[in-house]
Amino acid sequence: MVSRRSLFLPALFIFLFVFIELASAQITVYSGRNRALVEPLVNQFEAETGINVRIRYGGTTQLAVAIMEEGRRSPADIFWSQDAGALGALHSGDILKVLPEHIAATLPPQFTNPANTWVATSGRARVLAYDKNNVDSSTLPESVFDLTRPEWRGKVGWAPANASFQSFVTAMRATEGDERTREWLRQMKANGAVAYNNNNSILQAIEAGEIQLGLTNHYYIDRAKSGNPNYGIEAHQFGAGDVGNLINVAGLGILKSSKQQDEAIAFVAFMLREYAQQFFMNEVFEYPVTTGIGDSDRMLESILGITPDINLDALNDLDETLRMLRQTDLL
Amino acid sequence: MEKSMNCLLRATNLTKRFSTQDPPVVDRVSFTVQHEEIFAILGPSGCGKTTTLRMIAGFERTDEGSIQLNGKTLECPYTHISPERRGVGFVFQDYALFPHLTVLENVKFGLTGISKSEREYRAQEILELIGMKAYHNRKPHELSGGQQQRVALARALAPKPSMILMDEPFSNLDAVLRQSTRNEVRRILKEAKMSAILVTHDQEEALSVADRIGVMDQGRLVQIGTPEEVYYRPKTKFVAQFLGRTNLFSAQATGLEAHSNIGSIMLDKPARGDVMISIRPEHLTLEQATPANCSGTCGVIQNREFKGHDITYLIKLDRGDCIVHTDNRMPFGVGDNVIVRPLEPAVVLDNDSTRYTPDQSIFTSSDTGKSSA
Amino acid sequence: MGLAKNIQKLPPWYFLFPAIFVGISVTLPLVYLVFRAVDGDWQQSYELIFRQRNLTLLYNTLALTGGVLVTTTFLAFPYAWLTSRTDIPGNKLITLLGVMPLAIPGYVLAYSLLGLGGTNGTLAQLFGIIIDRPSGYWGSLLAISLYTFPYLFLNLRTGFIGLDTSTEEAARSLGLSSFKILLKVTLPQLKPSFYAGMLIIGLYVIGDFGAVSLMRFETFSYALFLQYESAFDRVYAAWIALMLLTLTGTILIGEYKLLKGLSFYRTGTGTARKTKVLKLGHWKWAAFTFVFLVTLIAIIIPVITILFWMAQGVDPIVWNTLGHSVRSSVMASAPAAVLAIFFALPLAYISIRYPSRLSSILQRFAYLGYATPPLALALAFIFFSLSAVPFLYQSLGLLVFAYALHFLAESMGPIRSALYQAPPRIEEAARSLGYSRFKAFWLTTFPLLKSGIIAGAAFVFLSAMKELPITFILSPIGFETLAVNVWSFSAEAMFAEAAPFALCILFFSILFVYLLFAREWKRA
Repeated sequence: MVSRRSLFLPALFIFLFVFIELASAQITVYSGRNRALVEPLVNQFEAETGINVRIRYGGTTQLAVAIMEEGRRSPADIFWSQDAGALGALHSGDILKVLPEHIAATLPPQFTNPANTWVATSGRARVLAYDKNNVDSSTLPESVFDLTRPEWRGKVGWAPANASFQSFVTAMRATEGDERTREWLRQMKANGAVAYNNNNSILQAIEAGEIQLGLTNHYYIDRAKSGNPNYGIEAHQFGAGDVGNLINVAGLGILKSSKQQDEAIAFVAFMLREYAQQFFMNEVFEYPVTTGIGDSDRMLESILGITPDINLDALNDLDETLRMLRQTDLL
Repeated sequence: MEKSMNCLLRATNLTKRFSTQDPPVVDRVSFTVQHEEIFAILGPSGCGKTTTLRMIAGFERTDEGSIQLNGKTLECPYTHISPERRGVGFVFQDYALFPHLTVLENVKFGLTGISKSEREYRAQEILELIGMKAYHNRKPHELSGGQQQRVALARALAPKPSMILMDEPFSNLDAVLRQSTRNEVRRILKEAKMSAILVTHDQEEALSVADRIGVMDQGRLVQIGTPEEVYYRPKTKFVAQFLGRTNLFSAQATGLEAHSNIGSIMLDKPARGDVMISIRPEHLTLEQATPANCSGTCGVIQNREFKGHDITYLIKLDRGDCIVHTDNRMPFGVGDNVIVRPLEPAVVLDNDSTRYTPDQSIFTSSDTGKSSA
Repeated sequence: MGLAKNIQKLPPWYFLFPAIFVGISVTLPLVYLVFRAVDGDWQQSYELIFRQRNLTLLYNTLALTGGVLVTTTFLAFPYAWLTSRTDIPGNKLITLLGVMPLAIPGYVLAYSLLGLGGTNGTLAQLFGIIIDRPSGYWGSLLAISLYTFPYLFLNLRTGFIGLDTSTEEAARSLGLSSFKILLKVTLPQLKPSFYAGMLIIGLYVIGDFGAVSLMRFETFSYALFLQYESAFDRVYAAWIALMLLTLTGTILIGEYKLLKGLSFYRTGTGTARKTKVLKLGHWKWAAFTFVFLVTLIAIIIPVITILFWMAQGVDPIVWNTLGHSVRSSVMASAPAAVLAIFFALPLAYISIRYPSRLSSILQRFAYLGYATPPLALALAFIFFSLSAVPFLYQSLGLLVFAYALHFLAESMGPIRSALYQAPPRIEEAARSLGYSRFKAFWLTTFPLLKSGIIAGAAFVFLSAMKELPITFILSPIGFETLAVNVWSFSAEAMFAEAAPFALCILFFSILFVYLLFAREWKRA
């Protein structure tokens, strides 16, 4: 027979363990961003604040869907999205909590959103990638709408299934209207635009000589160039204000159902401060969302002038974009 | 009347249908088996004998009827004792030995609920009885057909069941082996003082092994009796023909005598008018036909089969023909004129042997002509 | 009394319940697929169903299926004929080579074909040859045909071997030439084997997502994947899944009418008869050339491509992930194999020992799990688990369960073979000796099934290791198997990173092929 006294010690141990586990602050992050990009920052955050972070990695869309389907039971406190569309979907589902005003105080107007349910952490500029060995850069179009011209027939690659592209289309709908957007999509398709699964494939295709131009995000090229000075692809920016220069954003949102609201806010604030922003700029090759960070090609100042004038809330409406892509037989 | 008081097994009115349109596969079958008795159910393929046996084992359910073993009801419309609780051993046609176990392990398989040493003892004892002790470590596929059969028997005997059921146990053996194995099995059963029901289509097998035989045709037990009774005094044409070669004649009976194709002949029971009689070929003999005794009942030898130890003659009569079985001293040859003389009374067969009427007694009784229930 | 007897005729509950459970598990989620689909916005659903693009998708899917069926016939028939009807030397080796392409799953083959061409592909870097990267219809056709033709090969070979040669001899005695005999006597008798192989391959093509997505050829499965990937509301994915299922259903019904029932590897009894063997003489060199060419494209080139890309240097981080991946793959596949056996054994037992209309219906469900396009099956499970059993949603258990249902048909073959050989009466013998029904089965029949069970489990395990579409959808977030890694890296054209994972898959696939080959060779 096991005596009561001999049970006491293990019970105490278990109790203490559970208590400590519960008592120590811990937040759960669902991250659509890559482990390599996120882990170093998170470690730094934990060291600075003592808050324990548990991260679940996955695809942005997948995680957003999971959060929506998990509902109030979701263990996630924070959602770190690779792009605005996913955050918009969560916002529409009334899942995100309104952030305190001071969080976005330091951000330029292009990176704020009136609803304030999520905040941008880094920028990803849309560019036109081109084969620098075979294309004369002076012939490159000034506007993304020019890509429907006959001289680019069959030479342009895009990725309709990619979230960044879908954000870009949403931006085009916001600035140019649905009809013009639909027309552009149709004309691009008629002009032989080649569809790829994702951005990497577009660049590989340019390298392989299948296509000459590609609509993609800037950092792919920057990363490749840093590893290989002879990289054959260069990035071209459209004329100032053209929607083709859209800066898409990665961002953070806090779930309403989170029980660690204070810790979550601390996490978001950390990602907007200098340490994290420098990391995004130097290690991830993305644009910071605040000005005055460091000194490089990728300072925010360098692109603020050419980006289209758009309110980030406008990027919330992904549903209609998807519908349009389905209607134009791109999805 | 049947001594039914302390029989071991009583089956009453067993009936089984597999489909509602066709006639029943087993039709109101009733019989008893005594202690230490070997009972054979004999019949052609498809007559329902195996189904009957499986009903007694519990592998098939009865539609009607009941089964009692040692006074305890095994099966009736409200009861079905499952096979594993009946205490009845079964030897299958293909032996069904467990391929992954040795002979000894096969035999030990049914010995549950006793101590390990006792199991060993009992198994060895049984193996000794069947003469397979030296093979205790072999696997079934290493044994011959006859050896497998004996192991199957031993396996069934080992747990000392109330009785053993055997489904065509010798049919898979070649002809040479069959006879010796039959004798062996009978010896083993008797030595073990075990009752058994044996199902077979081979009449020689049934006659030599069984103490009593039930002849089955199209689902019905047509006659039950000792081997001698069913052989010498068949009740129906079917039984007469199934148990061996026989001569069937129509005759006109006048009491204990009848007039037939071979002349005047005695009968085993009184009858009047047109009857069908059966007389075995070995109960006839031949005599030289002379103008004196050939009064329309003589015949000509058509065929002579000399088999060394005996001779079978085929004789063509005025009406029909007949077979006569004699010892090898008969001097007659093909073409000779002979008369056929009976050595025993002929058996009067029941008139309509294809329709079963419930009142008809199927037990051989000494009452003549009286039906007894 | 009547009901009691009818119940007694049923198989025992411990076999019946698992069998019925399998039947329900395969069909119920499909019902939820319908629920979810009709849940969406009616106007958008209408747009989705009746758009022009669906006709394109249908056309593409059918064209690819037709193309693959034709190509695999041209590949498989010579192999089957050579190894069963001629005196070609090295029969065993050629048979092995004919089965070997199964070691290179479709998406791996697609990956290697993609890595072959282009300005920085293998050919360019090794030989300076620049070819267009294969893509679209022809790329998909090549990748899928080369992977699936062994199924047809095995079926045809079994068919050839099981032929009744006396009919051919009778035809010869009636004066028909060899060619006419082939046409009028031999080929018609091969129809069941042929249809069986066609069915497996056709279902595979319709359900394939790995190869077509890498080749960017738009079939229904690919469209389903796109919808699933990019949309937050999966209703529209559900509609595409339903369309896919309708297509599959039509094919199954058609096949049923043609064949009156499904049979997979096993057709005919495969008794080896001494057939008239054709002497090839000098023609054997033509045969060798053919075999060599196919082996070159289907096996040698992919392996070289993978090794080449591995040699290009791999990011060290990948090795860490590789370890995780192998663990993940095994963690999902091993339990799936055990579960599959747990389902397959009752089904096989019932169909052989208690044959009846009920048992043949139950068997159909096992094959239904195999025939359902994997993406649609996975999607159905997502909806089902969300609505009915939320604690299973996003769990490893659900993935394991889906694997088991999808692959259990593969384990039926070995288990049934083993059951056929177990003497039917030994269980009754055990019962007559006092053992209950279950114990009788457990102690007498079950030990005889061991080799069949192990073979069946091995098939399921290895198939699950290679599996892509179901894994893709049902994996818990962050759970990445080898297959998923190969595919994601290939999709990003990161061929070097994909190579180590592809190599691991190759290892497990080769085991699968070895097992298959050993059983087929022994059978014939």
